[in-house]
Amino acid sequence: MKFSLAVYSAPYSAQSASSALRFARVLLAQGHEIYRVFFYCDGVQNGNSLTAPPQDETDLIAQWQELQRRYHLDLVICIAAAQRRGVLSEREAKRLEKPAANLADGFELAGLGQLVDAVAHSERLVTFGG
Amino acid sequence: MSHSTIALCRTPPYGSAIAREGLEAVLTSAAMEQEIDLLFLGDGIFQLLDHQSPEEIGQKSLRRNLLALPMFGIEQVLVCHKSLRDRTITLDQVQIPGVEVKTIREPGTLIAAYHCVLSF
Repeated sequence: MKFSLAVYSAPYSAQSASSALRFARVLLAQGHEIYRVFFYCDGVQNGNSLTAPPQDETDLIAQWQELQRRYHLDLVICIAAAQRRGVLSEREAKRLEKPAANLADGFELAGLGQLVDAVAHSERLVTFGG
Repeated sequence: MSHSTIALCRTPPYGSAIAREGLEAVLTSAAMEQEIDLLFLGDGIFQLLDHQSPEEIGQKSLRRNLLALPMFGIEQVLVCHKSLRDRTITLDQVQIPGVEVKTIREPGTLIAAYHCVLSF
């Protein structure tokens, strides 16, 4: 079955961010397809490459990246939500004249239209957090 | 396959960003000509009240986004009857110009009929 995930919660703040990752992993292991993972609201922090959790805690960002590389996942971060919360690509940082960029590799910034598109093209949308 | 979508507006207008970001998602969906229905329930009911003064807490008015609904082709919103009653809010307190506000007594049955549910 073709799934999309919407993630609204920040890593290390809510369990739902971690649940989203584990759910994605199980879906793929069971042979389902993930059309897109859309990170919205505080969920945009899942694509912040500057997160530095203690070594004995799960590195959620690295694990999303690993899953993305292995399955070529479409990990999309809402650009408007990300700008408000300081998750910027090189291009956005330059355009907005900010001192640094921190969008993690494997994630892409795009508009809310990508959530609408995911709803239209997936058999199931599963929301985490919010 | 049916792709009918309903957005649940469950959160109060201020205090967290989710109500605003939810409405932005709804307006984007409508702008992309996807049919989307809105159900206000729980504390989401408070989004509909007029006479908000968000500038006093440094916020933009969320009601302004609701007033834009007809421009995006959304001419009806659904409101949970029990959520209104629990908060002693009457139907005439939750009106939006150009939008029909319809009360729903069985939100569970309603939601179950949709293919996709967005929750904010």
